[in-house]
Amino acid sequence: MSKNRYFVRCVLLVAAMAVLPPAVGRAVPTDKELKLIGVLQSDAPAQEKAITCKQLAVYGTQEAVPALAALLADPHLASWARIALEAIPGPASDAALRDAMGKVQGMLLVGVINSIGVRCDAQAVDGLAAKLEDADVDVASAAAVALGCIGGDQAANVLGQAIANASAAVRPAVAEGCIRCAEKYLAQGQSAQAKKLYDAVCTADVPKQRILDATRGAILARGSAGVSFLVEQLTSSDKGRLGIGLWTARELPGQDVTEALAAAMSRLSPDRQPLLLLAIADRKDAAVLPAVLKAAQSGSIEVRTTAAGALLNVGDVSCVPVLLDAAVQDDAQLAQTAKMTLAKLPGKEVESDLLTRLAQATGKTRKVLIELAGYRQLDAALPAIVQSIEDSDAAVRAAAIQAVGALGGAAQVADLVKLAQKIQNRGDIEKALQAVCSRSGSACAPSLLPLVQSDDAGLRMIGIHAMAVAGGPAALAAVKSAIADKEESVQDEAIRTLSTWPNNWPQDAAAADVLLGLAKSGKKTLHQVLGLRGYLQYLRGDKSLAPGDKLAKVNDLQNLIQRPEEKRLAVAAVSGVEAPGALEMLTKFAADPAVMEEACSAIVNLAGKNIPGVSAEQRRSALQAVVEKSKNAGTKRKAEQLLGGI
Amino acid sequence: MRTKETHLNRRRFLKTAAQAGAILAMPHVIPATALGQGGRAAPSERIRLGGIGIGNRGSYVLGCFLHEPDVQFVAICDVKASRRQAVKQMADTKYGNQDCAMYADMRDLLARGDIDAVLIATGPNWHATAAILAANAGKDVYCEKPCTKNIAQSLALAQAFRRTGRVFQAGTQRRSLPNFMYAIELARTGRLGRLQTLYAHPMGLKTEMSGWLPAEAEPPKEEVDWDMYLGPAAWRPFNRRLLDGFNFEKGGGMFGAFGAGGCLEWGSHCVDLCQWANNADDTAPVEYEPKDGQLHARYANGVKLVLRNDGWLPLGSCPVRFEGEKGWVETADDGELVASSESLLVNKGAKIGGYPADFHVRDFLDCVKTRAQTRANADVACNSHIVCHAGNIALFLGRKVVFDPVKHEFPGDEEANRLRSEALREPWRV
Repeated sequence: MSKNRYFVRCVLLVAAMAVLPPAVGRAVPTDKELKLIGVLQSDAPAQEKAITCKQLAVYGTQEAVPALAALLADPHLASWARIALEAIPGPASDAALRDAMGKVQGMLLVGVINSIGVRCDAQAVDGLAAKLEDADVDVASAAAVALGCIGGDQAANVLGQAIANASAAVRPAVAEGCIRCAEKYLAQGQSAQAKKLYDAVCTADVPKQRILDATRGAILARGSAGVSFLVEQLTSSDKGRLGIGLWTARELPGQDVTEALAAAMSRLSPDRQPLLLLAIADRKDAAVLPAVLKAAQSGSIEVRTTAAGALLNVGDVSCVPVLLDAAVQDDAQLAQTAKMTLAKLPGKEVESDLLTRLAQATGKTRKVLIELAGYRQLDAALPAIVQSIEDSDAAVRAAAIQAVGALGGAAQVADLVKLAQKIQNRGDIEKALQAVCSRSGSACAPSLLPLVQSDDAGLRMIGIHAMAVAGGPAALAAVKSAIADKEESVQDEAIRTLSTWPNNWPQDAAAADVLLGLAKSGKKTLHQVLGLRGYLQYLRGDKSLAPGDKLAKVNDLQNLIQRPEEKRLAVAAVSGVEAPGALEMLTKFAADPAVMEEACSAIVNLAGKNIPGVSAEQRRSALQAVVEKSKNAGTKRKAEQLLGGI
Repeated sequence: MRTKETHLNRRRFLKTAAQAGAILAMPHVIPATALGQGGRAAPSERIRLGGIGIGNRGSYVLGCFLHEPDVQFVAICDVKASRRQAVKQMADTKYGNQDCAMYADMRDLLARGDIDAVLIATGPNWHATAAILAANAGKDVYCEKPCTKNIAQSLALAQAFRRTGRVFQAGTQRRSLPNFMYAIELARTGRLGRLQTLYAHPMGLKTEMSGWLPAEAEPPKEEVDWDMYLGPAAWRPFNRRLLDGFNFEKGGGMFGAFGAGGCLEWGSHCVDLCQWANNADDTAPVEYEPKDGQLHARYANGVKLVLRNDGWLPLGSCPVRFEGEKGWVETADDGELVASSESLLVNKGAKIGGYPADFHVRDFLDCVKTRAQTRANADVACNSHIVCHAGNIALFLGRKVVFDPVKHEFPGDEEANRLRSEALREPWRV
C-alpha cells in the first residue's frame, strides 16, 4: 500500500489548496449579533470582549465591523478582533483593515497586514506597496508576503521590482511574496508570468531555501521543458539542490518527463540512483512501470533492490518473472524484497501466474513459490505443495511442510503423519500438524492415531500434543490412554496435557474424572499435583454444574488442597458460586496469608449479593473478616460499604 | 488503558516481523548501504537535529531519536528555562559533552544553518506555525499531533512543505506499527470485501470556546516567555493553568483552554488510520453529523466513518475497526488484532504493543536521507486533520454539515465556512 499513490493527484489540487474560497456574507444582523456588538461597545472586561469577538467570528455581519475595528489599536484585544474581521465576509471588513493600516504601527500593523493578506484584498495593493518602504522591517516584510497572497499583475509588478530594490533585510520576504504570487499564476495556468517571478528569485541574493523554492517553481512553470533544469539539480553537488530536484521529480507531470528521468539515471552517481528511482516510482504515468521494471533487472544491487520494492506499488502480473528471478538471487536483501513484493502484489492474475509456475518449478524457485502460496493463502496450490513435503531438497521440503501448516486441512494430516514416521527431524512437522489441527479440530483425530499408537515415544509425544489441539472425544480418549504409556516421560506429558484440557464442550467433561482420580491416587506427586490443578480448573470452568454441587466437589478435596497454588485455584473455583457455604469456605481460605487477598476479594464480590440460604449474619461475618484482614484499601473500603448496607 | 511506551530496537522489530512471516507494508525499500547505515555514522554524516518545545511527550519522542545512530541532537528551544535545562542535560549526558545549545526563541534555533531537522513537540497551538517556520528555514520536520488548529492551517501546512520540498512527518506513529498496518492492508486489499463502515475512537467529543483565565503574576521572561508561549494564539494574560494545561488551544478556535480537542485528540490518530484504510489520504468525507453521542461521517464513495467513544473490544487505547461486506477487523494499542475470521489473521506477524514511536522516527530519518515521502507526510496529515476539523465544526454547531473536499468549503453554509480558519496573533502568519 503506497504512501505516495495519491501524490500526483494532490499536485492537481494545489490551486484549490492554496487559498480557501471566501464565505458568503449574511446581510441582516440578528438580535444575538446586536447584543454581542453591545458588549464590545460597553465597559465590559477585556475577557468578555475577547470571547465576544470569537462569537462574532461566527455570527457577526458588517454591522459588527466598526465595533471590531475600534479594537485594532488595543494591544490586548487586537488579535481577538482580527479573528472576527478575518472571518466576516464582505467589503466592510476589508475597508476596516485597510483603514487600520494608516492608524496602527509596529506589531499591531503587522497583524493588520497579515489579515489583509489572508483576505486577499486586491484593493490593498497600493497601500501594501507603500508599506514595502516602511522603516520597520517586520512591517515591510509582512506587506511583501501579503502582496504575494493577493497575487495578480499589480502585485506581481510591485514584487518584481522589489526583489531587485528591497533592502537585504526585507528581500527574503519579498522573495516569499514573489513565490506565493507565482504559485497563483501557475494554478491559473499563467506559466509565463509564474516563470518570470520564479526566475527573478532564482537569481536574487536571498536565503538558500527561497532559491530552492523558486527553483522548484521554475521547473514546474517550464513543464516538460524544465527537465534539463531538473536534471541539473539531480546532478548538483549541493545537497539542497539534489533534495529539491528529487521532490520536483515527483511533481513535474508527463510521460515524457518520466522517460527523460529514467534516461538520466545513468548520469547520476550510484548512491543517488536508488533515490531517483523512488521518485520515478512515485509518479503516475504509463512510462513508470517499464522504467522501474528495467531497473529491477539491471544496475547495482541497491538499484535492483529499490526497484523490486517499488514494484509493489507500480507493478502487475508482467513483473512476476523478474521478481521471481530476483527472489532467488544470493543477495539476501534483494531476494527478500522481491519475495515481499510478490507476496503482496495485488491481482488474481498474479495468483494464477504463480500457480502455473509452481507446477513446473524446481529448486530455489519452487521453494519461493511454495512460500508465496502459503502467504497468499492459495488453496489451489495445496496438491503441488503436498507433493513437495518429501522433496529431496531440504529447503523445499521445509517450505512445503510449513505451507501445509498454513493451508492444509484434516485431509493433509495423514500426509504429515506419514512423513513424521519416516524422518527424525520432526520440529517443522509438529508445528504444521498443530496449525492444521487448530483449524480443522476433531476431524483430524483419526488420522493422528498412528502417532499415538506408534512404538516411537517421540512420535507418541507429537501425537499427544496434536490431539490436544484437535480436541474432541477421540482425542481425549487417546490422551487418557497415554496416561498408562510404557514410557514415564510420555505418561508425564499426557497428564500435563490433560491438566490443561479445554472445557469447551460437554464431552470435555470426560477429562474431569481422570483428573480427579489422578489427584487422589496418582502414581507420583507430579501426577497428583497436575491432576488436582487440572480438576480445579475444570470445576471453575464448568458452567453446567449447579452451584451447590460445585461447592461440594471443592469441599471434598479440602484435605488435598494444601499448597498456595492449589488454594488459589480453589478460591477461583468457588469465587462467584452463589451457594450456602461458599462464604464460609472463602473465609477459611482468607486465614492463609498466601491467598488472603484473593479470598477477601472473592468474599466482597459474593457478600454483596442476596443468596438464598445465606443469612445477613453470615454475610456480615464474612465481610467483617475482610475488614480485619485485607491490606487492600479498595477491598477493605468495599467491604465496609457493604457492611453498612446490610 | 496502557500508556507506557517502550523503545523497540529496530532490528528486533524486523526480526520478529520476519519470524512470523509478516511481510509488512513498507513501500520504500532502500538497501541499508544506500542509507549509510550499518553502524554508527560519522559525526559529519549524522542528521543534526534540534528540538522545539520538548516536554513529557517530546522527551519520549526525542528518546527515540537519540537511540538512532545517525542522529546528533544539537539544540533545544523551549519557552520554559527548566525544560531547556532538562533536555540539554539529557542530550549532553548521551553524548558526554556540553554541546547542546539552548534557545528561548525558535527563530534563533531555525536560523542555524547546521541543523538539518527539528522535532516539534510544543503544545498544539504552535504546531503548524512552527512547522511552517521550520520548512521556510530549510528544515525537515517531525511534528507531534495534532498538527493543525483548523482547516486553513492544514492546507497551509501542506502547501508550505510542497513549496519547500522539505520532509514532514506527523507524529501519528500508528501509521508505522504492524498491527495497524496489517488491519489497513486487510481493508485496502479487499480481504474484508467492499468497505462499509470505519470506526475511530475520538477520545472525547466535547465542545467549548478557548479560554481567558484570570491574570496571575507573570514569571520573569528568562524563566517563562509567556509571549512566545502564546505565540499565534490570541492574547490573554498569564495564567499558570493555561501554561501547564495539556490542551491549551487544542482543537483550534472552538475547543480550547481545557477542552479535549473535540474529535481531534485521538482523531488525528484513529481517523488518520481510517483515511488510509479507505484509500482516502487525498480526500475527506463529504458529510458529518453528530448523532446519539457519536459523530457520523460519510465519504463520497459511500463508506461511513463513525467516531465513537464506546463499543470497543478491550484491546487498549486508540482503537479502530474496519467493517466490509465479507468481514471485519479491529485493533488498538495493545498490538492485538481481532477479526471476523481467523483466516484473515494468518499473516498478521509479531505483536508489538505500547504504540512505540521508534519505527515512525526511523521512517522520518530514512526519508530525510532519501527525500522520499514519509508515511504521515504533510498531505496525509493535512487531509486527516481536515476530517477532524470538519467533524469538530459539526459538533460545535450541533448539526449536520456538508463538505466539499476539493474546494475545502461547506457549500452554502456560512457558519461552517467561517470556522475553517482563525486569525493568528501578530506577528505570526502561515
